[in-house]
Amino acid sequence: MKFTQLVALSFALTCLSFSAYAQGKPAPKDAVLYFVWPQNGATIKGGFWCRFGLRNMGVTHAGDNYPNSGHHHLLIDVAESLDPNEPIAQDKSHVHFGAGQTEARIELPPGKHTLQLVLGDANHYPFNPPVVSDKITVTIR
Amino acid sequence: MAEIRGIKSGRVGEPPRDPAPRRLAAIVAGDIAGYSRLMQMDEEGTHSRVKRIERDLIEPSILEHHGRLVKTTGDGFIAIFDSPVEAVRCSIVIQQNLVGRNASLPRHSWIEYRIGVNLGDVIIETDDVYGDGVNVASRLEGIADPGQVYISGGIYEQIKHKLVCGYESLGDRKVKNITDPVRVYRVLPDPSAFHRNRKRRENILIFLLSLALLAIAGGVLWYMLIQPHGKMGDQASAPPSQAAPQSQPAPAAAPTQQQQAAPSPQPSPAAKQPSPLTQPASPAAPVIAPSIPAASVHEPEMITLRGGSFAMGSNEDNSEKPIHQVMIKPFAIGRFPISVREWNECAAAKACGFVATGKDDAPVTNVSWSDAKQYVAWLAQAARKAYRLATEAEWEYAARAGTQTKYWWGDQFQSGMANCKNCSDIPAAEQPTKVGSFKPNPFGLYDMGGGVDQWVEDCWHRNYQGAPADGSAWVESQCPSHVIRSGSWKNDARYARPSNRDSYDTEVRYPTHGFRVALSP
Repeated sequence: MKFTQLVALSFALTCLSFSAYAQGKPAPKDAVLYFVWPQNGATIKGGFWCRFGLRNMGVTHAGDNYPNSGHHHLLIDVAESLDPNEPIAQDKSHVHFGAGQTEARIELPPGKHTLQLVLGDANHYPFNPPVVSDKITVTIR
Repeated sequence: MAEIRGIKSGRVGEPPRDPAPRRLAAIVAGDIAGYSRLMQMDEEGTHSRVKRIERDLIEPSILEHHGRLVKTTGDGFIAIFDSPVEAVRCSIVIQQNLVGRNASLPRHSWIEYRIGVNLGDVIIETDDVYGDGVNVASRLEGIADPGQVYISGGIYEQIKHKLVCGYESLGDRKVKNITDPVRVYRVLPDPSAFHRNRKRRENILIFLLSLALLAIAGGVLWYMLIQPHGKMGDQASAPPSQAAPQSQPAPAAAPTQQQQAAPSPQPSPAAKQPSPLTQPASPAAPVIAPSIPAASVHEPEMITLRGGSFAMGSNEDNSEKPIHQVMIKPFAIGRFPISVREWNECAAAKACGFVATGKDDAPVTNVSWSDAKQYVAWLAQAARKAYRLATEAEWEYAARAGTQTKYWWGDQFQSGMANCKNCSDIPAAEQPTKVGSFKPNPFGLYDMGGGVDQWVEDCWHRNYQGAPADGSAWVESQCPSHVIRSGSWKNDARYARPSNRDSYDTEVRYPTHGFRVALSP
């Protein structure tokens, strides 16, 4: 009885570690993803250039499998937490920069908005551990 | 002052001697199709039903739309409106209400109106209206099919950007006793009206081509016996060469000479055959040009659309504005998105960049716009036909299928109609599901909304300011991102709207992105 339980447990753990291994490339612990502009709490009139900063990792095209490099994703007003086992979603609030862009012209309706950056690997999965920026809030007048 | 007024009022009392006033008006002429037949069947019943329709429906509808009922005849009516928009709107209201009234009755006792609308300078008297404009309106009504609204070019010009519904150009028509031909448009207010009419025309084609189909089926059976390849797929994406013998078992006795006859109609892209085989339940199946195995390539199943004018865009999102009228030329579009099986034929020919994994009849995913272009280039070359990606306007025209509602089935979302997030019972783990798992739209197309995102030819533009109106692709050289349509199984219901649009980097693959092909005639 105890033996079968142990076998089941070890099997489950193996599966878990395997799935964790399958998704997401490893990222250096000291990687930092941040907004160069705008700063948290900024008030902006109209459209703006959003500039992405990344330290201790490189930016490359989506699909390119170089170690320690990925591409940017900008999350606009996203409340759900990031699922590390799924590709980063693609819709109007998850903007992808698979061509290796490090800045983008953003136009948002007036009001308060949150912005967050997530670095994705060649297959759009978050890194392990996830490389994400602080979630900042901007106000559009 | 008082005297003058007295003199004037004295004049007014006399019968008016001025010529009858002329004015510009939108004239609506309607009459009942098969009135004599209905009267013969049940004179009193029909009469009282017609009177009731006039009292309860036609008169109030005209008043509501600020028109005036000029006269009613036994089986028809003539009304005038100051505004062409109101005139057409009123006609649509009348036709749609009649559909409801007829729904509970047997087919032979339906009361169906034919309605013609024309803009003209007319002479208006209290109980009648005269002029060329009236004659044209009643001629339009004469050529209209029951349940339809036909409008003249003059009306169309006035309403095309104002009234949100589909218009199909029927070209210039010569009408009785009118010297100049009249440009005629058919109004497509809802999908059911569209399909009813279309089906009628298809029936003629089906009869004409059923013989040809039998002959081909014989040849195909022979082909299958010699070269048994592939399973007798029940997948709708299976090429008709496999599906045909299922329902048309031709006598195996005389296959050899039929085989000679079979290939002749095949290479012609104009050879349209009805396909009651793969989709018997589809009510609106338009003309279908099934794929024919040329040398070894399996062409996708295509649906030929006649084209016409439609209002593209919506006010739901800034990217979908402004709503603008677009003229679509006839073209064919894939019934399903390209499947893994179809993609891998291209990969096997070393013409596509990678071998797709997943179930054979699932839509191919993780393709970039450039990958999709490689596939269509290979298909066009292998099949020697003008296969290409659809333009954005063609995609929306096909997705709307004659409707102007938020979704093709109406303004409200219904679960189980499209494969989107929280829209169906299919678990996320089994995605993407095989092509054609959900209901087809009135054009018989599957997965136009939800399922996989679909690349189109156009470069991305933030909105429709400056978009072409002729249905062509809106492109510049070397654009960094292209348009994706349809939304995927990972997006919510808003993304499954036919007017929804989004963009993605041209060279980048993403796990929800696929495509379908189009074909120029």
